[in-house]
Amino acid sequence: MVPFLRKRVVSSAIPLLFVVLGVFFLARMTGNPVDLYLPLSATPEQRADFSAAQGFDDSVPVQLWHYLTGAVQLDFGTSLRTGQPAATMVLDAFPVTLQLAGVTMLLAISGALLVGSLAAYRPGSAIDRIAGLLSMTAASIPDFWFAIVGVLVFGVSLDLLPTSGTLGGPEVWILPVATLLIRPFGVLVQVVRGSMVGALSAPYVKIARSKGADARRVVFGHALRNAVTPVLTVAGDLTVALVNGAVIVETIFGWPGIGKLMIDSILQRDFAVLQAAVLLTAVTIFALNILVDVCHALLDPRVRQAVPA
Amino acid sequence: MKSSASSAPSVSSDARPGRGRSRTLLTLLLSGTMLLSGGCAVANGDSAGDAGSADGRTLRVVLTQEPPTLEPCESSLTATGVVVRSNITEPLVERDPTSGELRPLLATGWTQTRPTTWTFDIRPGVTFQNGDRFDAQDAAFSIDRAVNSDLACNVDGYVFGDEELDVRVVGPTRLTVTTEKPDPILPLRLSFVEIVPRTTDTEAKVRIPVGTGPYAVQSWQAGSAISLTRNEDYWGEAPAYPRARYVWRGDASVRAAMIDKGEADIAMSLDPMDAEKKTTVDYPNNETTALRLDGREAPLDDLRVRRAIGMAVDREGIADALLGGLAEPAAQLVPPGVVGHNDALEPTPYDVDAARALIEEAAADGVPTGREITLVARNGQFAGIAETAEALQYELGRIGLKVKVRMADTATQLQYQLRPLPRGVGPIALLIMHGNQAGDAAFTTSQYLLSDGPQSTFGTAELDRRIAAAGGLSGAARQRAFAGLLAHQNASVAQYAYLAHMRGLLGLSPSVRYRPNSATGDEMRLADVSPAKAADAADAAKAAEPARAAKEVRH
Repeated sequence: MVPFLRKRVVSSAIPLLFVVLGVFFLARMTGNPVDLYLPLSATPEQRADFSAAQGFDDSVPVQLWHYLTGAVQLDFGTSLRTGQPAATMVLDAFPVTLQLAGVTMLLAISGALLVGSLAAYRPGSAIDRIAGLLSMTAASIPDFWFAIVGVLVFGVSLDLLPTSGTLGGPEVWILPVATLLIRPFGVLVQVVRGSMVGALSAPYVKIARSKGADARRVVFGHALRNAVTPVLTVAGDLTVALVNGAVIVETIFGWPGIGKLMIDSILQRDFAVLQAAVLLTAVTIFALNILVDVCHALLDPRVRQAVPA
Repeated sequence: MKSSASSAPSVSSDARPGRGRSRTLLTLLLSGTMLLSGGCAVANGDSAGDAGSADGRTLRVVLTQEPPTLEPCESSLTATGVVVRSNITEPLVERDPTSGELRPLLATGWTQTRPTTWTFDIRPGVTFQNGDRFDAQDAAFSIDRAVNSDLACNVDGYVFGDEELDVRVVGPTRLTVTTEKPDPILPLRLSFVEIVPRTTDTEAKVRIPVGTGPYAVQSWQAGSAISLTRNEDYWGEAPAYPRARYVWRGDASVRAAMIDKGEADIAMSLDPMDAEKKTTVDYPNNETTALRLDGREAPLDDLRVRRAIGMAVDREGIADALLGGLAEPAAQLVPPGVVGHNDALEPTPYDVDAARALIEEAAADGVPTGREITLVARNGQFAGIAETAEALQYELGRIGLKVKVRMADTATQLQYQLRPLPRGVGPIALLIMHGNQAGDAAFTTSQYLLSDGPQSTFGTAELDRRIAAAGGLSGAARQRAFAGLLAHQNASVAQYAYLAHMRGLLGLSPSVRYRPNSATGDEMRLADVSPAKAADAADAAKAAEPARAAKEVRH
């Protein structure tokens, strides 16, 4: 396992470096943020002073050096927009997104394993057809539409849930998580079903049935464990997308997460916050990918054995 | 469980392979879910939503975005000013948004004691929210900090340009402010300077301010809410609500839903599609939309082409169909109520045939009318802007011009709006929205009409001369001068094809009474809001007063 982990860490670290450098250079190609932060009537001298104070008049390599040396010391600079340390803003926002992504994916995976397995147990049955219809619908619904309709129906018309916000009991989680959940759930149900149909027709399952194993044990004890590998891969990709920020949900429901923060910092050319946010999410995704690989290796010894020491 | 180490799965029905792991996995999934949900729920114990419960003692306001800062010298930024101005901090002088007249606030009076000097008498008996007494030194400090410091305050550039002020304390309740040139509207400019204690940081902007206003900042939960509490030592009339709470939602339909559901009392900037609701009220927001035509580039360098563009715009149609009726066709950049507004100017009549004839005439004289014009507009600047840009593209196409639309984000659009203007981008028609919240046309003309104005593409020597002359006048002469030069701009310069004077839409819960005005979008005074029951009782008492008086007379 150690050589396997070492290889995965090295191979994941290179893309991480490219992402960090790419964001640094691409952000600077969008132009000088001075116009956004100084009064419209600021004089050329005031603009020059502001640029100098923020280090924008340094050459790009010098700015990169400052960024990298600061990052090593965990100093990511100060937000132009709020005057707060960029690291503080990012660390405040990231747990919000992680919580949303965590709850969403736990529910999506649990639900998909159950529904997908039931559908796969008898292909072509009523349950399979309903599950197929629901999962296709769920995977196709635009999340912004679902969110707004959810607010109007469950928040206003039926008066069952709060329209938005983060402060409150479990009810404040329902609409945001439902909005985030619907697509991953739909996709995962289809993946689980497809994978399980293959696993349930494998010889070892037939043997289990012939030995008198009941349906629950056949599905969840034998087939699911061997069918879960592709599910893990897809779930990992979906989780990465959520960790990158659920911008629509964060905007509509007023959740101050990393996605909204990144979009705002892009629009406001708030380079320090953008760089810190991208670095943190990239590191998290890097860690998530390693976690998925480790899970793969644990579930499937062939993966472990394929990696030379 | 040996099977797990082999490459091919093996089966043993009595050994129940994987059952233990499945259970563990399921348990982990469920407990993880419960832990996350429960943990978050425990962390936030209030079930009334972000804005708090409808207890009648907390005024709940939902904004469009979180203020980037509450620094008072940044209060000319809309997102900051709407919370700070006249709620947390106050200026020496305030402008009545309806009448345009200046009223005393922290200054009790002011006079122009010399052509370049104004003297202000400071209100005694006022204390800051931190308990410090307010006097002329604090006022002088605040002006210096906002205007003469290196903080690069927004109010400095927006209101004072590069003007330096000499501020002197004459006594505990008197100070003088001297300008380099005579400035007849200095008190109006100072209405944008919020007063802070002399102990305020001069090296860096503050995030949470202290002022003399009717409310003080109680807490700022980053990303979620800002809570204010009533300043019980306020020198003026106490506001009706003991507390106020701001939250923010980026989506207008969610803001409207919060009013409908009773989660908020006031919602800022709703979409025109909600205008029919009983819980909304529209108001003039002093914003004007227009196409700014870059007269340095052909074919826009030809006056006939610029005038033709003005004639090709169906203002009524755009206002009704695309702006939800919340707009009035405009004939100038400043709306009614602003000093310098010319009442005699009428919107250019919509006349496609005449516009096409002008274009043909220009083409016959060698003007390259077939050159592609780029119409640049900012995403989300107002509801319906993308549709408006497309409608303008169609209308200009009808008169023989070739137009492409470029929708841009704020930073990109500002590159087209501000000097130095981009080079090598061809003729640009920029869709702008200008808000004159200061109430005087000088703030518009110096920016948008001067030849070298920060937001102007060109001008004429005659227009520059008239703008400079008007800026030195006061009273009726000032009004006449600015009105005249706005007419001159339309007739002889035509840098702008005006669209409309815009109106804002406010969501208002039935439980509160508030009458929005042209300043509401930038400065929403919480003290002007009252609970509907109390307001109704006061109205009833007022109505009963004449009847009681009449009875007493009869007796």
